[in-house]
Amino acid sequence: MPTPIDSPLAPDRSALLSASGVHAIACLDAAALSGLRELDPQGRNGLIGRVVKGFQDSLARLVPQLRSAMQANDNDAIRYVSHTLKSSSASIGALRLSSLCAELEAAVRAGRTEGLQQRVDAVCAEIESVKPALDQLALTS
Amino acid sequence: MIDSRPLPADDELALPPEVLLVDDDEVNLLVITAALRERGFSVSQAMSGEEALRRLARAVPDVLVLDALMPGLDGFETCRAVRRRTGLRALPVLMLTGLDDDASISRAYEAGATDFFVKSNQWNLLAGRLRYLLRASRTRLELERSKAKLARAQDLARMGSFEWKSGSAAPRFSAEALRVLGFPLHAAPSLSRMLRVLSAKDRADLIALLRDAVEHAATLTTDLVLTQRSGRKRSVHIEAEPEFAEGGRLVGYTGIVQDLTDRRVAEDKIRHLDNFDALTGLPNRRQLIQRIERAIDTARQAQHQVALLLIDLDRFKIINDRLGHSAGDELLLEVSRRLKTCVRHSDQVLEPGIGSGEPPPVQSLEAVARLTGDEFMALLPVVVDASEAQAVAARILDLMRKPITVGGQECFMTASIGIALYPRDGTSAADLMKNADVAMHAVKSAGRDDVSLYSPAQAGPGRESLELESALHKAIERNELVLHFQPKIDVRTARMVGAEALMRWNRGGELISPTAFIPLAEESGLIVPLSAWVVREAARQARAWQDRFGVGLSIAVNLPTRIFERADLVELIQSAVTACGVAPAAIELEITETGLMKELHNVIPTLHRLNQIGVQISIDDFGTGYSSLAYLTTLPISELKIDRSFIRDLDTTPQSLAVVTAIMALARSLNLRVVAEGVENLRQMQVLRRLGCSVMQGFLFSGAKPAREIDSWLTQVVLPRKAAWIEAAAGADNPADDVPHAAVSAPGALAA
Repeated sequence: MPTPIDSPLAPDRSALLSASGVHAIACLDAAALSGLRELDPQGRNGLIGRVVKGFQDSLARLVPQLRSAMQANDNDAIRYVSHTLKSSSASIGALRLSSLCAELEAAVRAGRTEGLQQRVDAVCAEIESVKPALDQLALTS
Repeated sequence: MIDSRPLPADDELALPPEVLLVDDDEVNLLVITAALRERGFSVSQAMSGEEALRRLARAVPDVLVLDALMPGLDGFETCRAVRRRTGLRALPVLMLTGLDDDASISRAYEAGATDFFVKSNQWNLLAGRLRYLLRASRTRLELERSKAKLARAQDLARMGSFEWKSGSAAPRFSAEALRVLGFPLHAAPSLSRMLRVLSAKDRADLIALLRDAVEHAATLTTDLVLTQRSGRKRSVHIEAEPEFAEGGRLVGYTGIVQDLTDRRVAEDKIRHLDNFDALTGLPNRRQLIQRIERAIDTARQAQHQVALLLIDLDRFKIINDRLGHSAGDELLLEVSRRLKTCVRHSDQVLEPGIGSGEPPPVQSLEAVARLTGDEFMALLPVVVDASEAQAVAARILDLMRKPITVGGQECFMTASIGIALYPRDGTSAADLMKNADVAMHAVKSAGRDDVSLYSPAQAGPGRESLELESALHKAIERNELVLHFQPKIDVRTARMVGAEALMRWNRGGELISPTAFIPLAEESGLIVPLSAWVVREAARQARAWQDRFGVGLSIAVNLPTRIFERADLVELIQSAVTACGVAPAAIELEITETGLMKELHNVIPTLHRLNQIGVQISIDDFGTGYSSLAYLTTLPISELKIDRSFIRDLDTTPQSLAVVTAIMALARSLNLRVVAEGVENLRQMQVLRRLGCSVMQGFLFSGAKPAREIDSWLTQVVLPRKAAWIEAAAGADNPADDVPHAAVSAPGALAA
């Protein structure tokens, strides 16, 4: 699997259309999203909207934390942010973001500090890619 | 610690299990909550460890789900804090960890988490894991509760458990067991420390018991008395079962210890109430009867006398009526105090079957008992003679006459005392008590404040005994007395070799057995003419058989021991045989072993003189008394009659067989004849034959009958050999190893 550093991500536009006619959303895994939808099939609880909102809130909180942690070489804080984002992004279907976070977390945990900046940048870049998808998801749900 | 909430009943199990989900990330909270609610859980949320702990202080969920990594208190810290809270030690905690995070998994367990779950969106897996946790926790809760109930029950029953694994030095006791044994909680006493609470004897017994139990892998049951450090004594019951591994190897013991002290105390109390009078604390009638029976048993064996003193207060009713019941009670208390000073009073409870080991010494039976209102009884278990009992009675009368102050008034009290002695006045507790009562009433009717020994003349209604006495007087003149004869048979030859004469009184067509009138005859002195009559009648019958069959059969006569003490017995017999024209050997005298030994010195001269004139002496009921073998060798006796009790039990108890064998050996070496009495069946006859005894008496051959009937039995049964025993005896080809029946040669005319 190519590392995110070697191949900077480009949004896969073709993913916007799906064969079934349901809107596919860039950066977000369709299977994960349908799993999420199954938790609130009729949308009565507005779960998707709340999850997206929750994720956006935590991004707003965590991204600055990540950047400042990087500057301060606060590995524990980096690890905490990457761990949290790893599971919440997976929940919402942002699997690429989730795996970037997992790699970041694993690197910090293992004390591999070289290339840490690049990994953080990759995570932040992917977050930027995911944001429009989140807006779209909030609208379509 | 155990959750105090009631255990959910079955229908409550349908309620959604409550989950407290703790995660700092809102997305996770939202998603997991939605997933679990979908699967039937009720979920509440906390965003941090701190918040979770606050919530837990208010309400406890069924299960706690903790994210491992959180800012502030992380999952591990939170879990530790949860476990530190006493009410939450059993709360199931599921730790959510990341993938590939083995370190967190082990940290989770270290922190006290029940299980872990790797975060993923495999919600069914998560729900399944939670349900499993809940079920395990519920099972555990039930176990904890039943354990707690058991502990409570054991505590109430003063019971505790222990286990002793093979190879470990000492048993491990539960907290309850330690309490029972008097050790501090959490103590792990060593075996030697535990054994130290026992008496030396109990200790040795227990060690032997343990060895034996382990050696045979047997159940262990014992009762011990242990002395706690405080000095308190406790009765403890121990019961343990062996435990086996597969293959039958003994791996240890599990058991219980139970404190029975209170139960024992209660039992003692009940026993005391059953046996002692509530007012005076003296033994009651029930207790007294048991003591009298025990005293009689001892006296029978040791050949001494027992005295019963019935003490009845004179005119007690008048005092009771005049001064009131409480004064009456006060008076009775004082009387019982005085009475106790007159005997060696023992308060020990005596009960059949209770109290193991040595029977109490006979002196400990001595007591004053309260029978009814103003009736007391003193038991003197060992007295030499009546005068000893009379001396005690005189002391009691003296003490009673001293004024008693009750209700502020001085009373003058006297008592009437009746005395009955074992064996003279009765051989059972009931007879002795009755006769002491008779004697006491004699005192009452003679004016009270005195003592009287029982005599049959007092027996109430005295008229009846007087009537019997005068009737017996006339019986001799009226020829109402008859002799019945029971043949003695030599089974080797099927011959009658003699007969025992037994007296009957034909009173108005009713045959009265001698046991009913001999005591009266002895008491009234009629026994002398009666005995003379028996001897004369026996001599007459000996002459009649001699005339009829041409042989001299010896007729055995039973005489009471006291007749043997009479110097004129020899003359009496001499004149009887002379009058009838038979040899003195025609009369044989039977004396019971017990009677003989009791009056040995008084009867020996007579026995020698009888022997000199040719009268033979037979010892009756042999084996039941306590013969001095030394005397047996010197006494002028010719015959031993084995007591019927040994014959009866011959084929059922080996002891009887041994006794008969021993008597045969004794007789052979002393050159004495042996007669077996009470032979009732062929089996007994054959066993006796095998043992070398050939002269027998009993229903197998003939009962005691009038002479006329014996004659026809001889001619119709014995001579024609028409009896099963004759065939059986002929069939048995036994060596003629008996001492020859020297006194009376077998009557040839009677032989077949």
